[in-house]
Amino acid sequence: MNKAVQKFFWLIAISFVCAYLASQNGLSPKQSISIGIFCVSILGTLFFWDFRLSFAFIGTSVLLLTKTIDIDHLVRFASLEVILFLVGMMVLVGLLKEEGFFAWIVQLILRIKHLTPAKFIFVISAASAVLSAMTSEVVSIIFIVAAVLEICDYFEVEPLPFVIIAVLATNIGSAATVLGNPIGILIASKAGLTFEDFIIKAMPLAVVCLLAMIGLVLVLYRKPIALLRERMRELGDNDMLIRLISVPPDRRLRIGLTIFGVTLVLIALHHRLELMWGLAENTALLVLPLISSGGVMIWKWQKARSYIERDVEWWTLLFFLLLFAQAGTLKYTGATDVLAQKIVQAAGQDINVLTGVVLWFSAIGSSILDNVVLVAAFIPIIQGFQNAGINLSSLWWALLFGGCLGGNITLVGSTANIVAIGILEKEKNIRVSFFAWFWAGLTVGIITTIIVWVALMVLPIYR
Amino acid sequence: MRVKDMMIRAVKGLAPEAAALEALQVLNELKISGLPVIDKTNKLVGMLTEKEILTHILPKYFEQVGVFSYEENPKAVKQKIKSFVNLKVQDIMRREVITVGENAALCEAAHIMLVNKARRLPVLNAAKQVVGIVSRGDIVKALFKESA
Repeated sequence: MNKAVQKFFWLIAISFVCAYLASQNGLSPKQSISIGIFCVSILGTLFFWDFRLSFAFIGTSVLLLTKTIDIDHLVRFASLEVILFLVGMMVLVGLLKEEGFFAWIVQLILRIKHLTPAKFIFVISAASAVLSAMTSEVVSIIFIVAAVLEICDYFEVEPLPFVIIAVLATNIGSAATVLGNPIGILIASKAGLTFEDFIIKAMPLAVVCLLAMIGLVLVLYRKPIALLRERMRELGDNDMLIRLISVPPDRRLRIGLTIFGVTLVLIALHHRLELMWGLAENTALLVLPLISSGGVMIWKWQKARSYIERDVEWWTLLFFLLLFAQAGTLKYTGATDVLAQKIVQAAGQDINVLTGVVLWFSAIGSSILDNVVLVAAFIPIIQGFQNAGINLSSLWWALLFGGCLGGNITLVGSTANIVAIGILEKEKNIRVSFFAWFWAGLTVGIITTIIVWVALMVLPIYR
Repeated sequence: MRVKDMMIRAVKGLAPEAAALEALQVLNELKISGLPVIDKTNKLVGMLTEKEILTHILPKYFEQVGVFSYEENPKAVKQKIKSFVNLKVQDIMRREVITVGENAALCEAAHIMLVNKARRLPVLNAAKQVVGIVSRGDIVKALFKESA
């Protein structure tokens, strides 16, 4: 049988079995259907990545046709606020790219004088994490990989270990702010967390994880690092790299940077602005990228349509929109409440056990699945824990870090990994094996998740 | 007038197994920017133009990085040019090729060229074999000649 047909058979069979098991365990027909359809979406992303939107379209239609959910609730659960936030950020990132901001970052990295392997690793890790936290993991990794490849080419060393280091740091950095990963804004929106909460609670933990990662990769990649040291000694200072590219520091780049900088500062202050203006929670957070991108489209009115058509990833955003609606259906039918109740019973209402379950389940799940799919499914379950009187605070952070750090474990764990490996494979005409990634990814993934686990259990700030 | 009435019939094609360096020499000798890649059964399997060669040589990420200018040639470019000798035409050719049927009207060929931003089109017969090639210049000349 054709492989695709086999996969499709398994997709349907597993989804049916999940729905059947749900109905046999006392869930209503509507709850069982919502579970079955959500399984189709999860397995659709796993088996048929390029067709995930088709599965989301058909699945959502089935939910409506079977009256599992009505249109009003479907629209409400689609989390349009999250989608609009992402649209606004994508337009801003498109502007930055067009004005040469990212090439300017690459140029800054290439111009580092008296480069040593330790300095190189520290700089690419820090730059990956910071850029990812500011602009999103998928955007930042492209530019960091460009810099890494140029430096490795110059010193004639194998780039894979250094690309992996950049990706590991990117995924860790993506947990530091609301902007780093789509799951950040999704969790912030559903849990009522502010940007300041992320700065106070997520960023320090991300920095500790980053430092631990740097320490680990210095040991894990000691051989490639030793070779790089040797080549740096042989080839001397990186004069050619320093002159390699130039970015015109013109007025447009400065204006673009100012718009982005002001937006970031205002986003960081959104909670205070909301209090000052009497706005509902997270209104300013969601609206600020829209105001900035609206301004950009007035300034660059001739290219406004191109920003929306070229820089906004409509394919991904439409998938997110329907996925959120399907996850909302799980909550609407009460399926996740039943599941939450059973998990709470099994955990004996112990918050430490629940935090561990959420953290490790989301970390391991994200190493295989798209973390947005996993987090969208988990959110209504965590909301369901509230009915049992559980304080949800540490669970939200567990979900955020599990979703971001789990992406480091495997080659396909996050979009940043796939993008980076894709560039490397095309550029070097090589095939990166699963295990070339796995050992470093697994070690960093597990150690950083343990760090987060301990912090969430021990530090009162997360309670 | 139909495409088959004005196309160039003596099509020089490249074999997919041919060395990429030899193909480059052919392009230079003929002073043209690209040629179709044709297999032993005379079926079109790809297109090799100077664009594909440059795409192979330049870093793959340059389009994604945004606005910048090269002040030096990256070391990777020199390395790729050195290793060009090991490549075959099929390693770097474009596999998706826009074509036109031999019985198509001239305006249809022009339409296909404009929609797909193609400078030349291989012409195929009913058996999908390459029987000719037309360029934008050939179409313009033929359209004006026909209307004269």
